[in-house]
Amino acid sequence: MDMTIVLNTLEEGAVSERIGTLIKGDMEVINTADMKIAHCMGCNLCWLKTPGVCAIKDDYESILKKLVYAENLWLVSDTRFGFVDWRGKKVMDRIVPMLNMYVEFRDGLERHEFRYHPLNFGLLYKGQADQEFLEEWSRRVASNMAGQSLGVYKIKEGELCI
Amino acid sequence: MHIVIINGSPRVQKNSNTDKIIQSFGKGLQASGATYELYSLSNRQEWDAAREAFIGHDQIIFALPLFVECVPGIMLEFLDSLPTERKSPAQLSFILHGGFDEGRQFRLGERFLQSLPEQFGCTYGGCLIQGGSFLIRFRDDEKMKKTMDKKMDAYIQMGQSFVSNGNFLTEEARKFIGYEKNPWIVHLLFALFIKRMVRKNFERFAQQWGCTRPLDDKPYLI
Repeated sequence: MDMTIVLNTLEEGAVSERIGTLIKGDMEVINTADMKIAHCMGCNLCWLKTPGVCAIKDDYESILKKLVYAENLWLVSDTRFGFVDWRGKKVMDRIVPMLNMYVEFRDGLERHEFRYHPLNFGLLYKGQADQEFLEEWSRRVASNMAGQSLGVYKIKEGELCI
Repeated sequence: MHIVIINGSPRVQKNSNTDKIIQSFGKGLQASGATYELYSLSNRQEWDAAREAFIGHDQIIFALPLFVECVPGIMLEFLDSLPTERKSPAQLSFILHGGFDEGRQFRLGERFLQSLPEQFGCTYGGCLIQGGSFLIRFRDDEKMKKTMDKKMDAYIQMGQSFVSNGNFLTEEARKFIGYEKNPWIVHLLFALFIKRMVRKNFERFAQQWGCTRPLDDKPYLI
């Protein structure tokens, strides 16, 4: 259950090997660049028709099946407009089946219930971005998944600056 | 005034809550003598025309749902395909909405949207925010109709307000969201009654959609 999943959305899985040496414990790096993953289409079927199962049949389902047994999720992403780029955001938008339709108050905010168990979230990013903005985003994403933020770290020229 | 509206939601237009909001807002624009053209990013075939419209007009509104605390990935992909310099000035405004109704839920997304116009050589025309959008899709449900009609009427008014003020940088637009944070009484009522009521509604909608599993099902747990 203490599994860590790293979704590396950088082209050709750059820096995957280095990440492998940095994160301790049971860990799997998934390079999403060569996977077939569509944008979430916001259809709500994973909440109201086939609870927990995404209507889009592509390579993301294998990621969901792994997240069910993970405790930590790291996103590795390039940046654009000061935020993660669309490739990084796309794999996060698809996380919706990990939550369910029911709502509750968590951390004083309206939140959806987590379908399986809490998931911690962290971000490794490349390029120019607003560090403080990304830290707040990471906290909010983690809070949505009932977990803690693992932090936001910048990758410099293939090196991780931690 | 002529306005280009781009629907940044990935949901097909037929089921898009953002589209319903735009239709009401558009009625308000037209009632005040303005015209608009609409592009939906859920349809890839409209991307080229949307890009041309973005380049060629001076009043642009992106309407979008909040997705994982920010802009939907599909809209980020479209933004990535736009030129960042322009020949003639333009104003970029936003209509941001989402399922939850607390103002706090939207502030990070709003902050991101505020930062965008400058990156495209545009000025910022403000961001109109309102939550509680989930039920728009179920607006014909007899229990929801009254509340949803009222909500849609409010967007018509904001369309008129946009034409008379030229932007969303008004007190009226700022207050459109309602509560920044639910008052304690809502937390109490939620625990006592609302939670159960909301669950029942969700279960009823699911049944209408032919759902045969519990909503908190755990399909991938072996």
